[in-house]
This record gives sequence, structure tokens and C-alpha cells, in this order.
Amino acid sequence: MKKSHILAIIVIAIGLAVVVSSISNSSTYAPFRTAMESQGKSFHVVGKANLQKDFIYNPEVNANLFGFYMTDNEGQEQLVLYNGTKPQDFERAEQIVVVGKMEGDQFLASQILMKCPSKYNGSEQDRLKVAGEQAG
Amino acid sequence: MDIQYTGEHLAYGQIGNLLVIFSFTFGLLSTLSFLLSLRKEGVESDSWYKLARTSFFIHASAVIGIIFLIYYLIHGRFFEYYYVWQHSNSILPTRYMWACLWEGQEGSFLVWTFWHVVLAFFILGRRNTWTAPVMFTVMIIQTFLASMLLGLEFGGIKIGSNPFILLRNHPDFANLPFIQMPDYLSRISDGRGLNPLLQNYWMVIHPPTLFLGFAATAIPFAYAIGGLITRKNREWIAPSLPWIYFAIMVLGTGILMGGAWAYESLSFGGFWAWDPVENASLVPWLTLVAAAHVMLIHRKNGTALGSSYILAIISFLLILYSTFLTRSGILGDTSVHAFTDLGMRGQLILYMLFFVIMSAVLMWINRNALKGPDEEESLSSREFWMFIGTLILTVSAIQITITTSLPVINKVFGTNMAPPEDVINFYNSWQVPLAVVIALLMAIGQFFRWRQSDTRTVVRKLGVSFVIAIICTLLYELAFEFTRFQYSLLLFTSLWAFFANLDYMLRTLKGKISFSGASVAHMGMALILLGSLVANGEKQVISQNKLRVDLGKDFPNNENILLYERDTLPMGDYYVTYKGRQKEGIHIQFEVEYFKRDLDNGQLEKSFSLFPSVQLNKQMGNVSEPSTKHYWNKDVYTHVTYAEMEGGEKEQQDDTYKENKPIELAIGDTVTTSNSLVVLEGINKELDRSKLMLNDNDLAVSARLLVMDVNKDLYRVEPVFIIRENTMMNRPVEIDELGLRFTFEKILPDENKFRILIAEKKSNSRDFIIMKAIVFPQINILWIGCILLMAGSWLAIRQRLSENKRDSHSNITPEV
Repeated sequence: MKKSHILAIIVIAIGLAVVVSSISNSSTYAPFRTAMESQGKSFHVVGKANLQKDFIYNPEVNANLFGFYMTDNEGQEQLVLYNGTKPQDFERAEQIVVVGKMEGDQFLASQILMKCPSKYNGSEQDRLKVAGEQAG
Repeated sequence: MDIQYTGEHLAYGQIGNLLVIFSFTFGLLSTLSFLLSLRKEGVESDSWYKLARTSFFIHASAVIGIIFLIYYLIHGRFFEYYYVWQHSNSILPTRYMWACLWEGQEGSFLVWTFWHVVLAFFILGRRNTWTAPVMFTVMIIQTFLASMLLGLEFGGIKIGSNPFILLRNHPDFANLPFIQMPDYLSRISDGRGLNPLLQNYWMVIHPPTLFLGFAATAIPFAYAIGGLITRKNREWIAPSLPWIYFAIMVLGTGILMGGAWAYESLSFGGFWAWDPVENASLVPWLTLVAAAHVMLIHRKNGTALGSSYILAIISFLLILYSTFLTRSGILGDTSVHAFTDLGMRGQLILYMLFFVIMSAVLMWINRNALKGPDEEESLSSREFWMFIGTLILTVSAIQITITTSLPVINKVFGTNMAPPEDVINFYNSWQVPLAVVIALLMAIGQFFRWRQSDTRTVVRKLGVSFVIAIICTLLYELAFEFTRFQYSLLLFTSLWAFFANLDYMLRTLKGKISFSGASVAHMGMALILLGSLVANGEKQVISQNKLRVDLGKDFPNNENILLYERDTLPMGDYYVTYKGRQKEGIHIQFEVEYFKRDLDNGQLEKSFSLFPSVQLNKQMGNVSEPSTKHYWNKDVYTHVTYAEMEGGEKEQQDDTYKENKPIELAIGDTVTTSNSLVVLEGINKELDRSKLMLNDNDLAVSARLLVMDVNKDLYRVEPVFIIRENTMMNRPVEIDELGLRFTFEKILPDENKFRILIAEKKSNSRDFIIMKAIVFPQINILWIGCILLMAGSWLAIRQRLSENKRDSHSNITPEV
């Protein structure tokens, strides 16, 4: 067998390993319902923060604990706890993704990803605000 | 129906639209004429060539015209244009106005187009057999890019997005009532403004550099396509080598500037986060480096032609893919800084597919010519190890691409995969071992000679650098604790790569700079690996709050710490004080002072002050910006993660009490208030009844409280608890100096505890910040590595240029 063939086989093997590891290590986008069924397993949950309910953030007591209620895309509401400070402009996020797992009846998030389209593209709200200010 | 709008400047837009159409039409005309000029069997038809060149000049002028026109509109604050309204406002300083141009997709396409035009001038400058085929390919790319600005719509299909669209015609505005008023413009007081994240000097230089890198990647691609079209399958490599090194240099600089921007002004605490947008530009860089190496192999011994073609072509295709990822909105959930969808996803896919199919078809037609000679490379040849290196680079690129492409895979296969929970760790677990191999190959590669070398000589020559690297590794291991074995391996291999290349340059090349491109670039790359390893792997979050309990072992440590104004806390080797805040323009600056304890007299001595800040932006939300102290051997990075933004000062004079906080204490227990420690020393039953005006039948006790303030001054107070005829009463006491009030509310006999209410005056609440401080050791090694890598690439460009010149002078075809 030629060296180039051996090399080709090794590269293909590594390539397959890459694919397998990417897929087996990947997390899943899921609603809270699924996360509850598989306690302790990590999921990405997409949804919106419920701004009607108060956030749990009392930095003078614990600067590293932030909690909020979040409604996922199926409409289920869930308390999410995050081990960190309240993210800048959390209220403005039009959509959030929390990465973490259910422990009991709490969702413990290790990451909060916020989507603030307003930073990149005018949101509906922005436009109405400008229009309102001017017309009013 | 026709409304006579007032105050608009419509002429600019009309000129702009004309230029957009010119840029597209003449781009297309130029493409076709370059193609036709090629058709006559190698003899280039002059009239077609002239037409092509003239069309190109018109196209180029149109592109440059559009750019300056948009800049002029932004500068003149003509908010009747949607693009100007969307990306700028009247308080924006002039120095950031160029950033407005490339904040939007249309503008960033323009910057990209502009660089193609500039590079095309160099191609056209000296006409040779390559000019027409290369320009043909470049102009196809240009025509596609020009179409991105057309802003036409045919039956629901949108072609491009026009930067000169008027605010009142934009779909977001057209139906708003105030737009119907003739003087609507005077009702628009200001634009939406530039994204605060982009109001930074790095954002003025990073995007244009990155786009120059994108544009430069198109040139080796154009040579490769030219080679396939004209069937000069071997000759394309020599003239495209300088270009590929140029692309490596510029794209690399652009990526690293992005890292520097993230480090200096973003708040994630690092220079690289494996964000999809970062990855999207890193992957083509990796394949470019791989392409450059196989092309060198081909130039030396005539093999590796197929892989040269594939890698040169794929690098450009990956640039297109990266464009697709960042601009189609497909990354939506996984990246924070992708553009939003402008409804051009279809057009972007078409753009990408066109070049994929064109390249594949051309390669297929030429498949017989691409076969290399059927000979084995010796294990002791330089080309064998270079080839292994390119394979490893390719594997690295594939791994990054697959994980970054999960959203695309989801779209295509309808799956629901999300990136791994700890993405950074996942990437590192693959990329660190690959980097170990790359570093090893960089160390030994150059000591092998082309075709065949004496292994014993190679080993002997590597000895010195090996020993030095071992010693340095041991020193590093003593200074830092590397937790993972693979980190120690990378530490050693990158050190070896550095010293081996230094050795090669000094002893083998005898310090001849003009031939040292590869050595210098490899030294740079080795330092980049070493710097990232030490700075990132050994970074220390010194702001850890050790008092609090973790949520669980899977959660990160508590990395943020609360700091009251004028309060001092120990952090790592430092003591840190928050001195207060002040407003500077649109920034709120927080003054954070760092002290060190003098070892001789034990006094705290000021080391430095940092001013992390929050940039206020009502339209788009506040953005916090870190502040970093740079030392030669480490950086101290400080970032305010949370601060109360409203009502900072208004409560200062408020003398009323806040609500009572109930606290249950046993004797000997301690509790803290915002400014003191309170100890329940005991219960006093022997009270002076007459002084307290108690009845004879009253049961009365007092709680003996010892209060110690921050200056260690002591106060003793005794709030009284009374039971009079079955009702409970109490006599609160106050400490005016501390703004505290204590009430003895209840005795809890079952638990042997006493309930005390503590109230604080509102004026007691002091300003505070929550901050994060990280020490990055030796991060300067990373930046020095970047500079060396760029310098090495520059030397390589010069070396290849002079080689090509020599070859063309002596009229000898390059060795095949």
C-alpha cells in the first residue's frame, strides 16, 4: 500500500471522527417540556422573558444570581436561574436563548444569549418611537 | 396624489441610482468582453480587450462614486435617505462616519467591491497572458456584488438592496401617516445612529482590512480559474503565489484586528470566543495557508497540482460561504454579531452556487491534466511533511466548519441541533491537539531538504532548539500550573517551533532576511499559539467572590464581585477601590483604583487606576466597555458587569428609613448591615424601670447590641421589648451616625432566639458596581506573534515576486 493511501485513510478517519463528535456533542433546541422530561441534560431553549413578572436580582445580596421567568415557544413559563450578573439591556432582548438544564423545578442556565435586533436593524418599536415623537 | 415634499435633496439619490446601474451594467459588459477577448485560441483580441478595460474603468468609477456619495450623504446628515437615517445621527463624531458606511450590508458589499477594483488596477497595470482570464473571473465576482445593490423587485423576488432608497419609500416607513405630510422631513429630528459597539477605532480599521483580505483571496482563485479556462494548468501557480501570501497577510491581520477589537472593547473577556462570525473568516485563512504550502510544493517538484487547485479555489468559496453565513440571517440564534436578513438569502445562495458549479465543471473538464506524476514522496523530504501539515490544517478547517454550520445543517435536514453547551471547550478539545501537530511540523519542517534529506543531519540540527525548548517549557511549568497535559504539549511544541525557526534563520540561512519569510512567519505563528495558550489557558479571574455558594459543580465560579463606593476589597495580588462615577460625553466612567501592599512597610500603595465605562445609547441600548492596564508581562482587564443606571445620586439626602428587615438572632450571633457589624451580646433583664417609664406589672427586657462600623468604632444600644397586659410593645433605638434603627420585636422561646428589626436610612444606600477583573499573563507574546506573522508573509511576497521576475528575465519556465 502506498503512503498516500495510508494518509488518505487516516484523514478520512479523522474526518469521520470530527463529524461524529460534532453531532454527538451537540446540544438540542427544545422547549421546557422536553428539558423537564430529561432532567439534568443540557438543552438550548428559545423564548422570551416575561417582563410582567419581577426579575430576581439583588446584587447587594448576591451579585452572581439572576433569575427571571421565561416563556418558551410553546408558551410554557418557567423560572430560569443564572449564575452571573443581570445582562446589560436584558429587558430589550426580543428573543433569548438559555443554555442549561432542569434541576427540579428550576432551569439552571449556564449561558443567556440575547437577540437584540434593534442593534442591527430597526425594530418595529424603534420606528414607532421615532414616528411618534415626531408626529406628536 | 403627488405630494410636494419639502427639504429633500433628491438629486444625490438620482445620481446614486444611476451609478448603481452603471456599476452593474458595465461590470457585466466588462465580464463578457474579457471572456470574448479570450476566445481566439490564445491570441487575445484587442478590440474586445479594449472594450473590457474601458467598461472596467467605468465600473470602477461608479463604485468609487457610490462610496463617496454615501459618505457625503452621511456627512451632510441627509436623513431623507434611509441608509443615512438608519446608520448615523447628528451627534456622531466625524471619525466614526466611515464606520456608518460599513455598518449596513450594502456598504460592506461596497467596501468589498472597492478592494476588488483596487486590486484589479494592479492586475491591469502590466498586461500579460494572465490579465484577461484573471480579470474575467474578478469581474464575474464584481458583477454579482454589484447586483447586491440593485434593489429591484420582480414578482416578489428581490434583487439587491439599494443604499439610495428614500426613507419615505422604504417599506418600514411608507405607510406611516406622518410620511404623507409634505414637511415630514422636518419632523425627523435625528437618525437612528451608529451601533455603539462600532463606535470604536478598531471598527474603523478592522472591517476594511478584513474585506481587503476577502478581495485578495479572489485573486489566487481567479488565477486558478484562469488556468483551468486557458488550460495553462501549471503556469498559474507562480504568478499567484505572491497574491496568496498577500491574502494570508491581510486576511490574517483583519482577523486579528477583530480579536483585538473584541479584547479591547467587547465585554466577553478575551480575544477569541469561537463565535460563528469569527470562525467564518478563520476557516478560509486556514485553507489559504494550506493552499500556499501545496502551491510551493508544486513549484518545487511538480506534484500536488490537484490539491493546489482545490485549496486555492475552496478558500474563495469559503469566503462566499462565510458571506452567506453572516448575511443571510441563518446564524440568528447562534451568533451575536451577524447581520439580519435583508431578504437576499436566495441571491446569496445563487452567488455561492454559481462559483461552486463553475469550479467543479472546470475541474472536471481538466481532470486528466490535474493528475500528478505517479511517484512516492520520501519520508525524509520537506514536501512530505508540508503535505501532512496542509492535511492537518484542512482537518482543522473542516472541524470548525461543521460545528459552525449546525444552523445550516438544521435548515437542510430539518434537525434541531444546537452547538455543544460549552462551545469554547469543544473547539479547544479538537483544535489544541491539531495545533500541537502543526507546531511540531513547523519546528521540524524546514530542516528537511526538498526531495530527500539525511535524517541524521536533520536530527543533529534540531538538537539545540530542542534543548532550549525543553528548558523554557520547564520554566513555564514552574511559573504556571498547566492543568491539562495537552496544554503542556502545546507549550513545548510551540516553544520548539519558535526556537527551531529562529535557529534555522540564524544558522542555516545565516540571517539573510530576504529568504527568511517562512522562518519569521512560523516564529510568529508559534508565538500566537504560545501567547493564546498562556494568556487564555492561564488567565485568572481575580474578582472571585468566595463568600457565595455555587449553584452546582457544572456552573462557572462566581466571577463577579460587588464593590461599594469607597470600599476596598482584595483581588488577587491587588486591593481594589471603587472611587465613584462621572459622566464624560456619552460615557459613564467608573473609577477603579488598584493598590498593592508594600512589602516593607505594609502600607497600601496605588498601582494604577482604570476607567471601565458604560456607553449610553437610548436608541440601541447601553454598552459597557472594559478598561485594561497593560504591563509588559500581563494585562489587568476590568469590566463593569452591572451598575445601577438610574437614580445614582437622588437618594443621597433622604433622611427617612427604609423598611425594617427582620433578623432572628441567638445570643452571640452576628449580622451585617451596609455599613456595620451587629452582635447580639446578651439580654438585659435588669432594666432601669423609672427611666424607661415602665409600669410595675410590665415585663421588660432589652437586647444588648454591639455595633461596629467600618472604622472599627463601637456603639452599644439596647432596644427594649415590653409585655404590658398581654400586648407586646417595643422601644426602638437609633444610631444617628450610622443611620440605623433597631427594634426588639419578639422573643422566640422555642428556638431560643430573638427577633430584631433593623432599618437603614435611605441615605445609607451607597453607589456600587459589580465588576469582573481578569489577569491575562503574557498576552503581549500573542501580539508580537501577530506582527512577526505579518512581517514573515511580507518577506514571502517579496521573495516570490523577485523569483518570478528572475524567471521571466531568464525566460526559463519555472522548474517543473
